Amino acid sequence: MANIKLYTIIFGALMAISTVQFVLEFWVLEEAYVLAGTAILVLSTIKAVAVAGWYMHMIEEPRSITYLAMAGVLCVVALTAGAGYSIM
Amino acid sequence: MTDDEPRDTADEEATGDHTDDHDVSHDGGHDDAHSDGHDDHGSHLPPKSTVKRWLVTTNHKDVGILYTITAIFFLIFGGILALLIRLQLWESGHFILTDLGYNQIVTAHGLLMVFWFLSPFAFGLANYFVPLQIGADDLAFPRLNALSYWLYLFSGILLAVSFFQGSSLPTGWTMYAPLNIPAFIPPVAELGSLSAILALILFTASVTVGSVNFLTTMYRMRAEGLRMRDVPLFSISILLTVWMMLFAFAAFLAALTLLSFDHLFAGADGAGFFGSEQGGSLLWTHLFWFFGHPEVYIVFFPALGVMAEIVQTFSGRRLVGRKWFIIAMALVAVQSFIVWMHHMFLTSINLPIKTVMMVTTIGISLPFDLMIFALIYTMIKGEVRWKTPFLFVFGAILLFILGGITGVFLGAIVLDYTFRGTYWVVAHFHYVMASGAVALIGGLYYWYPKITGKMYNEFLGKVHFVLAFVGFNLLYFPMFVVWDTPRRWFHYEGTVAPTIPFTDIVLFETGFTIWHQMATVGAFLFAASFLVMFYNLFVSLYSDRDVDESPWAYTGSAEWAVSSPPPEGNFPGTPSFATGKLSFLDGPATDGGVETDGGVAHEADRQTHEPVDHASWWPLLMSLAALITAVGISGLETAYFVWPFLFALPVFVGYLGFVGANREGFTPVHGLYMAAAPLIAAAFLLAFHLHHGLPGGLMEANQYFWVTTVGAVFGVVTLVSAGYESFNAPEPEMAEQWPFEDVNNTKLGMWVFLGSDIVVFGAFVGSYIFMRLNEGWTDWWALATYESKAVWPGLVNTYVLLASSFTVVLALAYARRGSKRGTIGFLSLTFVGASAFMLNKTIEWTELYINQGWTFNSDVTATTYYLTTGLHAAHVVVGMLIMLFLILRAVNGGYWSEGESAEAIENYGLYWHFVDIVWLFLFPLFYLL
Repeated sequence: MANIKLYTIIFGALMAISTVQFVLEFWVLEEAYVLAGTAILVLSTIKAVAVAGWYMHMIEEPRSITYLAMAGVLCVVALTAGAGYSIM
Repeated sequence: MTDDEPRDTADEEATGDHTDDHDVSHDGGHDDAHSDGHDDHGSHLPPKSTVKRWLVTTNHKDVGILYTITAIFFLIFGGILALLIRLQLWESGHFILTDLGYNQIVTAHGLLMVFWFLSPFAFGLANYFVPLQIGADDLAFPRLNALSYWLYLFSGILLAVSFFQGSSLPTGWTMYAPLNIPAFIPPVAELGSLSAILALILFTASVTVGSVNFLTTMYRMRAEGLRMRDVPLFSISILLTVWMMLFAFAAFLAALTLLSFDHLFAGADGAGFFGSEQGGSLLWTHLFWFFGHPEVYIVFFPALGVMAEIVQTFSGRRLVGRKWFIIAMALVAVQSFIVWMHHMFLTSINLPIKTVMMVTTIGISLPFDLMIFALIYTMIKGEVRWKTPFLFVFGAILLFILGGITGVFLGAIVLDYTFRGTYWVVAHFHYVMASGAVALIGGLYYWYPKITGKMYNEFLGKVHFVLAFVGFNLLYFPMFVVWDTPRRWFHYEGTVAPTIPFTDIVLFETGFTIWHQMATVGAFLFAASFLVMFYNLFVSLYSDRDVDESPWAYTGSAEWAVSSPPPEGNFPGTPSFATGKLSFLDGPATDGGVETDGGVAHEADRQTHEPVDHASWWPLLMSLAALITAVGISGLETAYFVWPFLFALPVFVGYLGFVGANREGFTPVHGLYMAAAPLIAAAFLLAFHLHHGLPGGLMEANQYFWVTTVGAVFGVVTLVSAGYESFNAPEPEMAEQWPFEDVNNTKLGMWVFLGSDIVVFGAFVGSYIFMRLNEGWTDWWALATYESKAVWPGLVNTYVLLASSFTVVLALAYARRGSKRGTIGFLSLTFVGASAFMLNKTIEWTELYINQGWTFNSDVTATTYYLTTGLHAAHVVVGMLIMLFLILRAVNGGYWSEGESAEAIENYGLYWHFVDIVWLFLFPLFYLL
C-alpha cells in the first residue's frame, strides 16, 4: 500500500498546486505580472517533475532515462531561447 | 555469463589494443553458417522467390534490401528531375519547362534526393548491417521496422501522386514562408502542395519509428562483451544519426503539422500560422533550419561511417585516432543543434545571435577536420588496396574536403551576405551531400558480396568510379566558377573573366552559358555512370564469382564472420565478444523474455524458445491505409475535415470487440463493444445531420471525403488487427545493455518515442512563445477577438487530467497486485476522465469557435491556441483508443491474472502521464498568462 499512499499524496499536492495557480491568476497576476507569472510557471514545472518522477517512475529508472528525456527538453530550450533571442 | 564454452574463436589477433574493432574469424569454421540464406526454418516466412515474402517480411536483412532498392528507385526519380533542371539551364531563360514546372521540379528534386534517396539508402545498409555488426538477431521491433519501410515507400508514392493533382509543391525544398501557404501558392498547386507536405509527414513518421527501433536495438541488444566504444564505426555513425533524427525530425514534424493546418484551415486568403504578422515567416525558417542543419549531418554521418569502415578495410589497419574520431562525431551531433541560424544571416535576426552562430558554425568544422585527418593518416600508415569501394570513398573524401571548405565561407556572416542565394551555395552543398552519396555507393560495392554472395565485376566498378568522378566534377565545379548565377531561377547573365593574380591581365573571358552547358554535360555523364553500376550489379548476381565469409583481406566487424549472404538468424550460435574476440556460443539465443512489439504475448510462446516471428501483413496494410487517408486529406474540404475520423471511431470500437471475441473467446464485454459501435455511429450521424444534413451533406461531399473515410476506416481495422496479432521478438539472453540495463526493450522504446514527442510539443509551444515575444508578451491577448478567456474550463481540465494520471498509476499498482477489480476499475476511471476532458474541451471549443466566432483564422492567438491544444487533444483521443484495448484485455484476464504482465499498462501509463505533463504547461501558457 506504500505506493498507493504516496501516489495519493502526490495527487493531492498536484490538485492543490493547480488551485494555487488559478488563484495566482485570479488575484495576483494583474498587479504583479512577472512575479505571479514566474510563480505559475515554476509551479507547473514542479507538477511536471512530480508526475515524471513518481507516476512515470523516473526516479526508479536508470539515470540514463532522465538524460534521454532531458535531451529532448534541452532541444526545446535551445530552439525557443535561440529563436526568441534572435528577435530581441 | 553462462557456462557455455566458445565453439569457435577468432584466429586473428586484434591489430590494436582492446578498444579495437573486434577481429573476426575467417577460417571457414562456421559450417552451420554456410546456409544459402534461404533457410526459413521457424521464421514463418515464404521463400525469397515469392512476391509474398517481400510484402510480409519484417526480417532486418530483407527490409534492408527493400530500403536499398527503393532508395535507388528514388535516386533515379530525383536524378531524372535533375537532368530536366540541367536541360532547362542549357541556356538562360525558357527552354523545355514552364516557370511552374521548373519550380516543381527543383522542389521535388531536392526533397527526393535529401529525404527519399540519401538517408533511406544509408538506412538500407544500416538495416542490413547494424544487427550483424552488434551481434543481434534482428532489430528490437521487427514489425515496426517493416512499418518504417512501408511508410517510407508510400510517402514517396504520395509525393509522386502530387504531380498528378495539378501541380506539386513549387516552393523549393526549404519551403520558405510565406510562399508555402495557400495565399501564395497558385490555385492549381493547392492539392499537390498539401500532398507533398503530407508525404513529408508520413516520411517523418517513418523516420521516428525507425529512430526508436535503432536506438532501442543498439542500446539493448549488443552481443555480450561488446562495449559501446567497441561497436564498429559504421554502426556508431548510425547511432549518432538516429539520435539526431529523433530530435531534429520531431521539430520538422511540428513545422509540417502546423503547415498542413495552414493548408487545411487558413484558406486562400488566410494568413494562418506562417503568414501571420507576428513573425510567421521567420518562425518557419527557425523551425526548418533547426531541423535542416542536423539533417545535413543525418545525411552525411552514415557516409562517414562507411568511409571509416572502408578506409580501415582497404588500408589494412585500424583507424588512426579511432576514439577521437568517435568523440568528434559525437561533438558534431550535439553542435549540429546550435548552428542553425547561419542559414538565416539574411533574415531579420539580430547581429549578436548571428555572431554566436558564426562562431558555432566555424567551430563545427574543427571536429570534421579531425575526422578527415584520421582517415587520411590511416591511409598513409596502412597499405592501400585500390579496389572499387576504396576508390569511391577516396573520391568522396576529396569531394567532401572541397565541399566543406567552401561551406566555411558561408558560415562567415559578411561572405554569406554575398554568397547567399547564388550557385556558390548550390555547388557547396552538392559537393557535401553528393559526396556523401558517392561514399555510400562505395558502401554498396563494399557490402554487395556480403548481401548477395557474389562478387561484382571489379573492372566495371572502376569504370563506374572514373565516369562518376569526372561527371561529378564536370557537373558541380563550373557552378563555383559562375557562382553568381541566381539560385532557384533559370535566367542568368554574366561573364567570367579571371585575371592572373596581382595583375589586370585577363586569362580568358566567357559568358555563363558555356559553364552551365559543361555542367549539363557533366550531369548526363554522372547519370550514365550509374547505368554501368546497375549493369554490373545485376549481371554479377548471376555470375559464378561466389564469395565465402569475406572477399577482403582485412576486416574488423562481425558481418564478415558469417556466410555470404548471412543465415536467417544471422549467426551460427549466440555471438559473444566476452574474450575480446568474436565467438559463437552454443545454446538457445533467447530466454523467452517476450517483447511483443505492441501485440499480444501468449503464454505458450513464452515457454518455448521460439525464433523471432518475421511475417506480418499489417505494416504494409497500415501504411497503405495511411497513404489512402493522406490522399483524401489533400483534397478534403474544411467543413468536412473531422467527419471521416469520427466515422472511423465506431468501426474501431466494434472491430475491437469482434477481433477480441475471435482471439480470446466471446465474453459479454466483447458484445458490449460490438453493441456500442452502431450507437456511436448513430450519434455521429446525428451530429453530421445537424451540421450538414442527411443525406444531402453526404451527397455534396467531394470524392476526397470518401477517400479519407475509406482510409481512416481501413486504418483502424489494420491497427486493431496488428494490436491483436501474436508477434514475438524475444530479447537476447546475454547482451550488453549499458546504459539501459534495467529497462526492457518496450519501455525503452516508449521513452525514446516520448523524447521525440517532447520536441514535437516543445516546438509547438516554442512557436507560440516566439510569436508572443514578437508581439510583446503582455500585449498578446489584446490581439484576441473573442469575448472572454476560457480560464475555468482550463482549470477543470487540469483537475480531470491529473485525476486520470492518478487512476492510471493506480491501475498499474492494482494489476501488479493481481487485483481484477482494481485494474479494470481504475483503467475504466481513466477512460472516464479522458472522456470528461474531451467533453469539456468540446464545450470550450464550441463556445469559443461557434458562439463567440473566434475561429482558426480570426487572429494569430486563435491559430496558436487551436493548433496547440488541438494537438494535445489528438494525443488524448489516441490515448483513449488504446485504453479501450487495455480495458478489453483486462476484463478478459489481461495484465492482472497469474502469468500475465502489467507491462503494457506501465508503458501506456508513460504515454498518458506525458500527455498530462504537456497539459500542465499548456494550462498556464494558454489559459492563465
